[in-house]
Amino acid sequence: MIAADVTEPRSAPTRWWRSRSLRRFLRNRLALVGVAMIVTLTLACVLGPYLLPFDELYIDLRARFAPPGTGAHIFGTDPLGRDIAARLFQAGQISLLVGFSAMLMSTVFGTLVGVVAGYLGGRIGAALMRVVDAFLSFPSVFLLLSLAAFVSPSPLMITLIIAVTSWMEVARIVEANVRSLRERDFVLAAQMVGLTKRQIMFWELLPNVVGPITVAATLTVARAILLEAYISFLGYGIQPPLPSWGNMLNGAQQYLAQAPWLAIVPGVAIAMAVAGINFIGDGLRDALDARSDQR
Amino acid sequence: MVRYLLSRCGQSLVLLFLVSLIGFMVLNLAPGGPLSQFALTPGMTKEALDRIAEQMGLNRPLPIQYLDWLWHLIRGDWGVSYRDGRPVLEVIGSHLFATLLLMGTATFFAVLIGASVGIKGALAQGSAFDTTTTVAAMIALSIPTFWFGLVAIYVFSLWLGWLPAGNMYTVGDGSVGDYARHLILPSMVLALVEVAVWSRYMRAATLEVISQDFVRTAKAKGLPPRRVVMKHIVGNALVPMITLAGLQLPTLLGGALVTETVFTWPGMGRLFLDSLGYNDYPVVMGLLMFSAILVLIGNLAADLLAASIDPRIRLD
Amino acid sequence: MTKQSFHPTRRQTLLLMGAAGLTTLAPSLTPLGAAQAQEAPSGQLVIGFSQEPTVFNPHMPHIEVDEGVHYAVFDPLFDVDQDGNFFPLLAAEVPTVENGGISADGLTWRVKLRDGVTWHDGTPFTAEDVKFTIELLVNPEFKSWRSTGHDQVRNLTVVSPTEITWTMEKPFAPYLSLLAGTFIVPKHAFEGQDPNTAPFNNTPIGTGAYKWKNRVAGDHIELEANTNYFGDGPYLERLVIKYIPDLTVLYTQFKTGDIDLVGLQWITPDHYEEAKGLSDRVVEVVGTATFESLSFNMQRPQFQDLAVRQALYHAIDKQAIIDALYYGVPSPTETFMPRESFYYNDALPAHEYSPDKARALLDEAGWVPGDDGIRVKDGVRLAFTNSTTAGNHLREQVQQFLQQSFQDIGVEMTISNLPPAVMWGDYWMLSQFDSVVVGLNVLTGADPDASTFFLSSASPAKGGAGQNTWVYENPEVDALLTQGAETVVPEERREAYLKIQEILRADLPFLPIYQYAVIHGRKAGVEGFAGNVNNRIDTWNVRSWRWN
Repeated sequence: MIAADVTEPRSAPTRWWRSRSLRRFLRNRLALVGVAMIVTLTLACVLGPYLLPFDELYIDLRARFAPPGTGAHIFGTDPLGRDIAARLFQAGQISLLVGFSAMLMSTVFGTLVGVVAGYLGGRIGAALMRVVDAFLSFPSVFLLLSLAAFVSPSPLMITLIIAVTSWMEVARIVEANVRSLRERDFVLAAQMVGLTKRQIMFWELLPNVVGPITVAATLTVARAILLEAYISFLGYGIQPPLPSWGNMLNGAQQYLAQAPWLAIVPGVAIAMAVAGINFIGDGLRDALDARSDQR
Repeated sequence: MVRYLLSRCGQSLVLLFLVSLIGFMVLNLAPGGPLSQFALTPGMTKEALDRIAEQMGLNRPLPIQYLDWLWHLIRGDWGVSYRDGRPVLEVIGSHLFATLLLMGTATFFAVLIGASVGIKGALAQGSAFDTTTTVAAMIALSIPTFWFGLVAIYVFSLWLGWLPAGNMYTVGDGSVGDYARHLILPSMVLALVEVAVWSRYMRAATLEVISQDFVRTAKAKGLPPRRVVMKHIVGNALVPMITLAGLQLPTLLGGALVTETVFTWPGMGRLFLDSLGYNDYPVVMGLLMFSAILVLIGNLAADLLAASIDPRIRLD
Repeated sequence: MTKQSFHPTRRQTLLLMGAAGLTTLAPSLTPLGAAQAQEAPSGQLVIGFSQEPTVFNPHMPHIEVDEGVHYAVFDPLFDVDQDGNFFPLLAAEVPTVENGGISADGLTWRVKLRDGVTWHDGTPFTAEDVKFTIELLVNPEFKSWRSTGHDQVRNLTVVSPTEITWTMEKPFAPYLSLLAGTFIVPKHAFEGQDPNTAPFNNTPIGTGAYKWKNRVAGDHIELEANTNYFGDGPYLERLVIKYIPDLTVLYTQFKTGDIDLVGLQWITPDHYEEAKGLSDRVVEVVGTATFESLSFNMQRPQFQDLAVRQALYHAIDKQAIIDALYYGVPSPTETFMPRESFYYNDALPAHEYSPDKARALLDEAGWVPGDDGIRVKDGVRLAFTNSTTAGNHLREQVQQFLQQSFQDIGVEMTISNLPPAVMWGDYWMLSQFDSVVVGLNVLTGADPDASTFFLSSASPAKGGAGQNTWVYENPEVDALLTQGAETVVPEERREAYLKIQEILRADLPFLPIYQYAVIHGRKAGVEGFAGNVNNRIDTWNVRSWRWN
């Protein structure tokens, strides 16, 4: 198997819909539930605003704190009488986008740093890992708050700030895995065959750390969505009146007894989104891991 | 080995210097300053603020302020808090115990429960237990901590009246039982998320190990399954866990921040948030350095431990 | 002149330098004479504050919440009660022209001190301590919180251990109020010390009803009864000041009974209804001297047009904001002066909510809607940003409500909130904002003087030393403010301040929304608490608090 891994040139890729990984993924019921959750949420967020008879920004103080199911307000209204369903879907677009973009940015960057540092080792590796350490030594709250004081809080900036504070863990985990892999036979074999460092890093090592990366990446989406909520909680996040799941949830804690739906609705949306992503990530992990069939 | 340690120490000093420089710049270049909190005080004037700034040396050029701070630090003087005038180390020290107590309790339960659940789930991949714990962990990870904390207070303090709504102890009591009662809610809230993290990583790491050749070899050799699990699988799966543990050390500072706020726990997280909010630069800088040192120690310890467990990892 | 004729309405503050004196001996507070039979202090009371007191030297830069401790540990010479009457504490009597404490021209002061008072460490309190305190406040080496007024004191002389005199450089009416907020500190605690770093600063020694016991940083401060207190009280054996950083948690702990009294930052309006229904709790609304406003930066071209400011005022549905968003707790106002004040102008034109009038005003002034519906005049778009402290969710609701109201009349307001340290730094001080929503107390303690906020020369953006961040300039107001500060007869002063309020209401550099009212809560057994618009903090009379 090891020999095959290296010597056999990557044959023309099998058509993706016939790949074993996909089949394995499709066999994973939890993963499918996850996909269904994310698809449903995404569709709701994209189409929802067109289907509802309310504008997410329209304030109507007479209608404030309407409980779910009052008239056409399926999820009720907020302290300014705005329709929560309309806000929820609009907010979902922003929160999901922020969460996924931040995850993509931080995972790509973290993986890159981790693979390079782990494989090359030596001075370059040490230097890279000290940079990782330097970033890790700043508590994320410090970076979040300090950066927020500099930039104007647009969704793009929030995404960048979150990405800046989340890539290090991926890098750290990838580095540790790659470091433990690089003395393995298949890597030594690849070196003997004469593959370049870049090929070894990205064709031989990277596929072998997809598992941990996926696990870390899914946790990062969760983190990103929750961080957005936290920044918005502190008031430096998405600025009103633009809704995000974070800023919807955060005003809500004051009304927990009086209007619990203010906290429950966006809370459930966040939980669904994050759980869905995690289910998918888990399924992907099993599916992508070439060895999981061999047990 | 000695050479390795020396070189790591050298790197660490450079790192500390970088952290302090970046931290100082970010703090001081951000608009606003330590005196802005007094702006809305009735009767406060720009004149008074300027005078106080001058007395505090805040209007000196930034490089001078930085070098002044660094010079004092090198001589072991971490400065005094702008807020209450106490030495920075004393301020940090007075919040350390609360955080250690909370984080220690939470982490202890989190690791114990998380690791067992993760291993058990991985060994019985796809079983009802695995599915249930996986789903539970993911849901736990999806709940914002402050929200969960508030719900816990509503249920256990207001509704049932079983546990106190916050604080570390009752003023005037302070017995061990009193501390324990106050500790339950915040540490459980904190542990919930931690359990989820630990069990997810432990499960992934165990799965990784299970599929490797030496485990199959061990099984093929006919070793009793129990021994295979304990010696080969758990032992090897623990390596990445040690890295994770190293990573968790600095979260001492920020990790409990939200929980500390919700439960009015007088720890480091809240000190940090307060100091940042009041632009108490000496304390913030002190906490940054403290946190950086924790990271360095955590990483070094993780690397050394990992190397001593897994002979394939070479220190260089 | 008798107290009655002077002060018929029992309104606040009237400083009596020239005219007359009213020296009420608030009966429950200050029986003269040191040791009298009184019940032994008993029980413990826990006060919850949402900010942490950290500055215990009352003369170093501090925030409101720190005074919560100062009032318990220290005493000023005299103080102002909830009706605006001065009552003596460390002074034997409040100096007035009548009793010879203040000369008729307001320049010479003579204060007699109470005899037999001791500091918490047993050292006798004397006039030397008063002299030391006033000198400390103007000591250039000392990080003094505020030297206003004290810097005009000359020839400070200790006549005897119980008498001190000085002269003022010029008549300065607010000085009596300033002294009422000046806690006397012990000279001996600073001997041979740098006042900025003296141990006193973290273990204060006062003459107050409560003695410093200890502090658990980040959590609470413990004070214990001073059984040798010269006045009435204390009645509690122990006073605990607890720091609870989150308002929801503060309220929750009030509900669970973990704290006995909700202090500074109080119960949020959205919990008012529920709080009123709690059993065994007393919840009441108390007015304060702070007013909430939409404040403009008058340097911005769009705000230089009076019609714009008037139109925006008409576009605000004040009543809806107060009733719906603030649950009817605060009361609408047209001015910066609290309605409890003797100087409050109740004849100001009432605000009228009318989007139609707003539109008409803007049309008339030549602001015509552009393609995007936002009005334009001479190339200036009627668009601006609005800022406030990030994280204040009630204010954020108000901002969003205003945003929609302004949109209706063709005005674009963008919300851009900032962290507190950024917001109230140069951004505020140097008027870098377009508009802000802000709560301000522009008075000088219990005195109506608002010079630091409204004098043209007080704009830091123009090099001024005050806090006129509107960059508001009106020579008539300047003259009236100066006249008001130098006039010593309250009735005469009153004219000036009524006129100032009238001009500000017409000029509208800020759109007044409401006068603050805060929701106090305490357990039903707590007695002696009284709201006081003339003082900044709940514990101003903590000496008389007791458990029933």
